[in-house]
Amino acid sequence: MATSEHWELELYTLLSLCPPSFLFVNTTSARSTSGGLSNVLKRLSQEPQDKAIFSARVDGIACFTSRLIYDTILNGLAQWEPSWADGCANWSAEGETRRWNDTIDGFIHGIVSVGQHLQNTRVQPLSEEKKSTGAELIRLVITIEHVERLRECVPEVIVPLTRLAELSRLDVCVIFLSETRWDDIRPAYSAAPDPYFIDIAPAQKEESMPVSSSSKHPIDAYHPELRSLWSHYVALVCDVCYSFTHDLEELQYIAVARWPGFVQPILDERLRIFRDVHGHDFDPSDEQDMLLVAEMAFELPADEVRLRLTRLFNPSITAALEELYPRLTNAKDWAIANKPEDDILAQLPTQLHPFKTRAKLPASTEPVEISTLSRMSKFILVASFLASTNPAKSDLRMFGRGLDEKKRRRRRASKPSGTKVKSGPVRIPQRLAGPMPFPLDRMLAIFGALLEENDTDKRPFRIEYSIPGEYTDMETGRVAVSALIMHLCSMKLLHRSSALDKLDGPPMFKCGISYEITLLFSRQLQIPLNDLMWDPL
Amino acid sequence: MATPHRRKRRKVDGDTLPTPKKTRGPASPRKRKTKPDPSPDTITPDTSSAIVDPLPGPSKLDGQRAPSEQTFISIDELPPLLPDRFHGCLRAQKLQILRASQRPSVGTPAASDEDPSTNEIASTQLKNLLDGTLSRGEGNSCLIMGPRGSGKSRIVEQQLDALAEKPIILRLSGWVQRTDRLALREIAYQLTQQTGSSFLLDDEEEPSAVNDDDENPFLVPSEPNASQGVALPPASHLPALIGMLPTLSRPSIVILDAFDLFALHPRQSLLYCLLDTAQSCRAGAGSKGIVVIGMTSRIDANNMLEKRVKSRFSGRIYRTAPPAKLYQWLEVAKGVLSVETQTSDQHTAEWRTLWTAGIYRFFENDSVQNQFREAYAVIRDIRLLSRILTSLAAKLSPSSPFPSSQLLVSAISSQRTRPQLTSLHQLSYPSVCLLIASVHATRGGHASFTFEMLHESFQDQVRASSAAPVQVLGGNIGMAFEELISTHVFVSVAAPSSNTAKEFVKYRCIAEIEDVRKVVDRDGQLNLRKWFNKAQ
Repeated sequence: MATSEHWELELYTLLSLCPPSFLFVNTTSARSTSGGLSNVLKRLSQEPQDKAIFSARVDGIACFTSRLIYDTILNGLAQWEPSWADGCANWSAEGETRRWNDTIDGFIHGIVSVGQHLQNTRVQPLSEEKKSTGAELIRLVITIEHVERLRECVPEVIVPLTRLAELSRLDVCVIFLSETRWDDIRPAYSAAPDPYFIDIAPAQKEESMPVSSSSKHPIDAYHPELRSLWSHYVALVCDVCYSFTHDLEELQYIAVARWPGFVQPILDERLRIFRDVHGHDFDPSDEQDMLLVAEMAFELPADEVRLRLTRLFNPSITAALEELYPRLTNAKDWAIANKPEDDILAQLPTQLHPFKTRAKLPASTEPVEISTLSRMSKFILVASFLASTNPAKSDLRMFGRGLDEKKRRRRRASKPSGTKVKSGPVRIPQRLAGPMPFPLDRMLAIFGALLEENDTDKRPFRIEYSIPGEYTDMETGRVAVSALIMHLCSMKLLHRSSALDKLDGPPMFKCGISYEITLLFSRQLQIPLNDLMWDPL
Repeated sequence: MATPHRRKRRKVDGDTLPTPKKTRGPASPRKRKTKPDPSPDTITPDTSSAIVDPLPGPSKLDGQRAPSEQTFISIDELPPLLPDRFHGCLRAQKLQILRASQRPSVGTPAASDEDPSTNEIASTQLKNLLDGTLSRGEGNSCLIMGPRGSGKSRIVEQQLDALAEKPIILRLSGWVQRTDRLALREIAYQLTQQTGSSFLLDDEEEPSAVNDDDENPFLVPSEPNASQGVALPPASHLPALIGMLPTLSRPSIVILDAFDLFALHPRQSLLYCLLDTAQSCRAGAGSKGIVVIGMTSRIDANNMLEKRVKSRFSGRIYRTAPPAKLYQWLEVAKGVLSVETQTSDQHTAEWRTLWTAGIYRFFENDSVQNQFREAYAVIRDIRLLSRILTSLAAKLSPSSPFPSSQLLVSAISSQRTRPQLTSLHQLSYPSVCLLIASVHATRGGHASFTFEMLHESFQDQVRASSAAPVQVLGGNIGMAFEELISTHVFVSVAAPSSNTAKEFVKYRCIAEIEDVRKVVDRDGQLNLRKWFNKAQ
């Protein structure tokens, strides 16, 4: 595992001297590695080398067909930009109208052609003395990022790409860059040669984050004077967040969101000093004030102040992590919503409480699309949840009523008293293992049972339904119920697991809502959900 | 073991791997500065200096180096930091090593008393075969068979480079030319490139000339220009094109890489045509001869041929093999590392002395020898050696200018004994929690699990041990789950289906329990360790 400097140096050495024809760079953060790689290639193209180096970069996400890959590589190597005015033509050698992108053969011919073109046009005019020797003067470097995508989209190009040097008989170096291991990408039958591996260690906690200090006046959160405070602040953010994410960019995002609030007390202090000295408030748009403030010398916060700030803001960084890392909100809104109180440092230490986040997000109890559901659809969803999680054999016990109309024969909840360990796998509640498909009839039966238990008293009295349960049967048999079921299917709250055109047997469905949502519905409908579940929570 | 005397060593090598203890006394290598069996043309040095000649015997016998370069330098005098004046030399040396490691010279000429190596035999046989075709116009075919990296392509290339007159060389690869039509088009293209005339288009032109009067509007008039693209020819042209090969002005050599893949093509028509042409090529009857060379690592490639194809194949199978003895492997390594630089630098001679001393010290080291022996014992692929040497050379710097045991260890660990799941070592806290939960699920008899199961297990644990460091929101741990999926630590058991919610898709953990233990131990959090130990 190489740290960032080491691997860049290693790669630079290899590419500038004599690289293996196929390299595999295994990284943990493709974004930062890709940046490092482009630095290396930039340096290589700027500094004089034994051979002129031309490079092309391909992103496995953007290039999802073989033609896109071929065209991107050839255009990149020839430094050719397709332009709209020319009809977006791809690169081709002078006087040729061939297309290089039809098959891998054509692509290899294209690479050879690009090589000759570059050798003739870019290199040889510069070095006439080398021309006589006839040696190859160019080296082509092809970088392919997100190689794991190629395996999914265009697996047939992987093997030729790994053998490109021997196929084209040029000085070509192909670099695969991926977060996935080579073993997961490697084509079958060991068709590809083993690459030269470069492993990149993840960024360390200690690697500091750069901050752009563009501000001109010292009463600003981004003034260079505050850089030492920034480094302390970064250490604080890393301490809190590092165990949850090692992604440097995520840490930067959180740090940047909290920073204006963190320095706000210090800036407030400086504003107060300015007011005391000059007798009026600082106005950044006033040039006179800008001159005045530039002459003033502000002290950096003392260690004691810094420690107080740390203590005050520590909990809010955790809060920032919890909201910003899953992107429940954005950094700017979060920073505005969590501005510290004014003059927080001016208060006595005893009065201070650790800073708490004020603006909690509205609890995501009920998504919008679910809140608009009708009462009957909620009954259907609860019934389908029960049908999906309870075993079919348990229905009679859970929903059947005895003659006394009260007593339900529940599952025996108490565990056997003996501590005998049963062999076999641990039983997993169906709620966790995923919903089971159920026939429509079964769900309708449960639906009827739920309605009979919880809905009868809310209906208007109808004289024609005299037999017990007749009214409920009427309700469950309505066309509206079938229509609702199809509507819920289209909302993906129910999943139809049998084919649409299947005629025999009842259609099968699966429940598409989670336990939490079901619990919410059953509370609204006053259904005792836990009593009706075979594996109660 | 710097310059092992060949005869003596071979006796040791007989059947078992040589151990350094046998050839070297118990004394430490630093103290013992004399060679085990010095060659007669070197001067026996005194005990405080070492002979700086790690090159194996043959290259020394070539007389490439002047006797004045046979200088001695004390190993202790090697500078730990390279003076500025040698920086250019070090760069040149690295360049040469990298070049040499791409093409390691395996076929060292064997001594007269030993049977020639497998590759030498294959090389000679191939040379004779090519001779027959090039000088007498024979039609020949052969198969070169050997494991990956054993030198099949290298032998062919060497023999082709050694040819006096350049024949027409057609190179096909089973990985690229996946169908016979593609292969045919490639043959036509390469013929166009090498002879300047496209034989396919000639064939096509004749009918089109006849049909000119019809003015077929769908027929695009084709230009007989060599630079034009070659259209995909119909399969019916195959016999005609290949049958024409021996009638060309020069002999032709057809090289089929990944021969076994061509045998998988339907009806093996390309192979049939090629081998039939080669077999029916009559020497001296106005034909220039053709040779078909197949290369494969598949041992039953010959049996894959259909009967009619097999009967046209000459049956010549030349075998290649990786180095059969450890000392050969070591000699390759030494040969690569002690390659000479060709610079006009004035310090070259001085650098050369330093460098040879550094190489000598490197190969005298016990741990270095153990590392090489271990690598050789597991994988005999010479390409692995060249990757190790490449890594070694790339990491040389002015602050550590000479190869060392530490550099070799790191090179081997990055190229051969690669850590299985590198991504495991920088997992964040939620990911480690999920990993432990997956171990619990596996131990509970559920090798495949859903996210909900792991989440439940995690929540139970947070509830049970009130000392969980930080309460994590659901979003965070869900992201950790996705992270584990994207790094292929969790792999999906079933194909993705549209009507299964994401949290109920079943996954399997490919990290072993020992891997997880390492992660938990390294993480060092007591809560996690306790939770993990519950799964034992």
